[in-house]
Amino acid sequence: MTLADLKPGEAGKIVKINAEGALKRRLMDMGVVGGTGVRVEKVAPMGDPIEVRIKSYALSLRRGEAKSIEVEAQ
Amino acid sequence: MMASQKSSQNPEKQGLTIAVAGNPNAGKSTLINAIAGSRLHVGNWPGVTVEKKTASLEYDGRDISLVDLPGTYSLSPYTQEEVIARDYLVKEKPDVIVNVVDATNLERNLYFTLQLLELGIPLVIALNMTDEAAQKGFRIDADKIASILGCAVVPTIATKNEGLKHLMTTAVSFAVDPGAHAPGFVSYGEDIEQALAPIADALKDHPEVLAGRLPLRWFALKVLERDERVLSEYAVEADALPIEKAVKHLKAAHGEDLEAHLADTRYGLAAGLTREALKKPEIRKKELTERIDAVVLNRYLGIPVFLAAMWLIFKLTFDIAGPFTDWFDGLTSGPLSRWAQRLLDFAAAPDWLVSLVVEGVIGGVGFVLAFVPPIFAMMFFITLLEGSGYMARAAFVMDRMMHAIGLHGKSFIPLLMGFGCNVPAVYATRTLENPRDKALTALLIPLMSCGARLPVYVVFVGAFFASQAGTILWSLYVFGIGMAVIMGFIFKKTLFRGEAPVFIMELPPYRMPTLKNLLIHTWEKGKHFLIKAGTYILAVAILVWFLLNLPWGVENKQESYLGKIGQISAPIFAPLGFGTWEASASLITGVIAKEIVVSTMAVVYAPQAQGEEEEAAPSFVEDLREIGVSFAGALREAATNVFSTFGIATISAEEEEGAEDLKTTIAQAFTPLSAYAFMVFVLLYMPCVIVLIAMRHEFGTWKWAGIAIAYQSALAWTAAFVIYQGGKLIGL
Repeated sequence: MTLADLKPGEAGKIVKINAEGALKRRLMDMGVVGGTGVRVEKVAPMGDPIEVRIKSYALSLRRGEAKSIEVEAQ
Repeated sequence: MMASQKSSQNPEKQGLTIAVAGNPNAGKSTLINAIAGSRLHVGNWPGVTVEKKTASLEYDGRDISLVDLPGTYSLSPYTQEEVIARDYLVKEKPDVIVNVVDATNLERNLYFTLQLLELGIPLVIALNMTDEAAQKGFRIDADKIASILGCAVVPTIATKNEGLKHLMTTAVSFAVDPGAHAPGFVSYGEDIEQALAPIADALKDHPEVLAGRLPLRWFALKVLERDERVLSEYAVEADALPIEKAVKHLKAAHGEDLEAHLADTRYGLAAGLTREALKKPEIRKKELTERIDAVVLNRYLGIPVFLAAMWLIFKLTFDIAGPFTDWFDGLTSGPLSRWAQRLLDFAAAPDWLVSLVVEGVIGGVGFVLAFVPPIFAMMFFITLLEGSGYMARAAFVMDRMMHAIGLHGKSFIPLLMGFGCNVPAVYATRTLENPRDKALTALLIPLMSCGARLPVYVVFVGAFFASQAGTILWSLYVFGIGMAVIMGFIFKKTLFRGEAPVFIMELPPYRMPTLKNLLIHTWEKGKHFLIKAGTYILAVAILVWFLLNLPWGVENKQESYLGKIGQISAPIFAPLGFGTWEASASLITGVIAKEIVVSTMAVVYAPQAQGEEEEAAPSFVEDLREIGVSFAGALREAATNVFSTFGIATISAEEEEGAEDLKTTIAQAFTPLSAYAFMVFVLLYMPCVIVLIAMRHEFGTWKWAGIAIAYQSALAWTAAFVIYQGGKLIGL
């Protein structure tokens, strides 16, 4: 499953990023690396993007980008 | 060149360079402002739109130049900011790096620190916001971080000026003797180090390394990561290097993507370091930021809160600025013009010179000044939105809608501000980081019908559509928005084809920006506009004076150069229903500012020079008193406006003088259909010169201004053509 499948309040652990190049590196630079815990906090009023909590800070990203992040539910 | 000649062999050297680097939202800007204050110089990095702040100061009898690098999360080669930061660090070789680290967000900040350490430049960490960290119950062992990383760590609270003296003293002592303060060696683990050794061995004879221009470890890491920029810039054939064996082993263990593996490794180290140095309280309290966001980003409240905030900022910007704009206007058209006239008369200057100075030069200055108040107000609020942390939330709330037409959530604010005035709106695009988002937003801003177009509508609507004035006005605004949506789609598919930029953005904690920071940013922006844009605008105003008044002594405006150009260009507008020289001359002068369309019409449609009544000119002292009184009036009015903002908004369009006469003339020269086509044309045709200059100024190139001229002229002509000819077909 991917990060986009988690609902607000649900947490998971990052398995890997299914993306290449700039998107992948950007995600990694923001702390989206394997083994890191992540929790979905909110969904924007219009349904996209989403807010997640990772490495003790708040990160927002679009669902399209969240789809490339593989997670295992916790 | 200068930088490469600097070396550590000369500890007595006077000039030292300190580069300040750090994550966005770590308080870097506040720290720089606190240290440099008014000595801060804001410019752009060469060839790009990213802001560059530098300051020259003296510390302990040494000349220090402070360079602020763009806030980044990494030194990867993917964003403009990251490339700028790392190119500067690698090529200019500052004597010391001050790395601003957010103490409340240690792990992600240290990930960046580790990348800085790879460069081998002495490093001092400014462990910032220690007050916030303490409030959260964090206990941070600064000495432990220092000893593990082999750098200095100085706790600071930039907003309260705490620790900054110690920070500077440490940084300077490191810079003076870099040899003794080279950063410690941080091992990336046995397998990576074993792979790095042969790479470093193969690269150590590279001319750039031999010349001492490239740090070997960093170079080897980049080759291992297969960093395209480094490989091509230094002509390294990674496949030709005898490193296959070393890399093969790594790839077998960690997969093909070694760049990802290295990022993983750095984060692993940052996490370990954080565990060692940071003690957190057992139970995490719900933070203020989370409590505010529960309302501000709420599913149902998010949009209303955002719209209310935008409405407030829009009103405040233009209501506060309005009275001061009027005051500047009165100042230049009244006392300044009178004084210049008297002075020139006294010097027995010829008529043409008086006219040039009073109407051309002082009139032009008046134009420049009129834009200063809204730009100051706009930059103040934009800085407030960014500094407080709300800008990121605004983007979060609006992104879905803006993304649909290829824009970024943050694009909404500049576009909205465009309804007040396009000029500060173009400057507001600075909040967008990605060059593509920024350019696309700026291109669409002129389609937002600004306040200067309203006087044109008022005259034409008054002459033809008085009974349905509201509906017709509203239709024009909506038409502009509709065109922006369509053009957004078209640009997305053509000019900006390709991968849309990502939306991966931190939502920083809410913080109260310091007044000092707000004022410094606002002042810098306003000052730049005055100096840079001011010169161009003045030149254009003088040019138009020449067009309107030459050949000198021309009585009938049709015989002036402007009238002649109007006659030549009139046929272009004939299919749109307004192919007269008066209309085209007005449109040409309207390029300075769109409300000029009306004032030009007032002149050209009244061929007999209106006999101006000579009023008894006030004396110098009376003028001075009047300036003071009217400024106090402007202050009072701005203050009243702020409070009446909360009351019922009334749109009051000021009518130009002599508007009644003009309406009568226009009613004869146009039909309702051609009047509507004309208004649509005024709405859409090329942006005013000041917007173009703002685009040039903001993007460092005329490219986007040129594209705006081209596409808007074509769009305006087509839209007016379709409306006029279509209207005729259906018998309007």
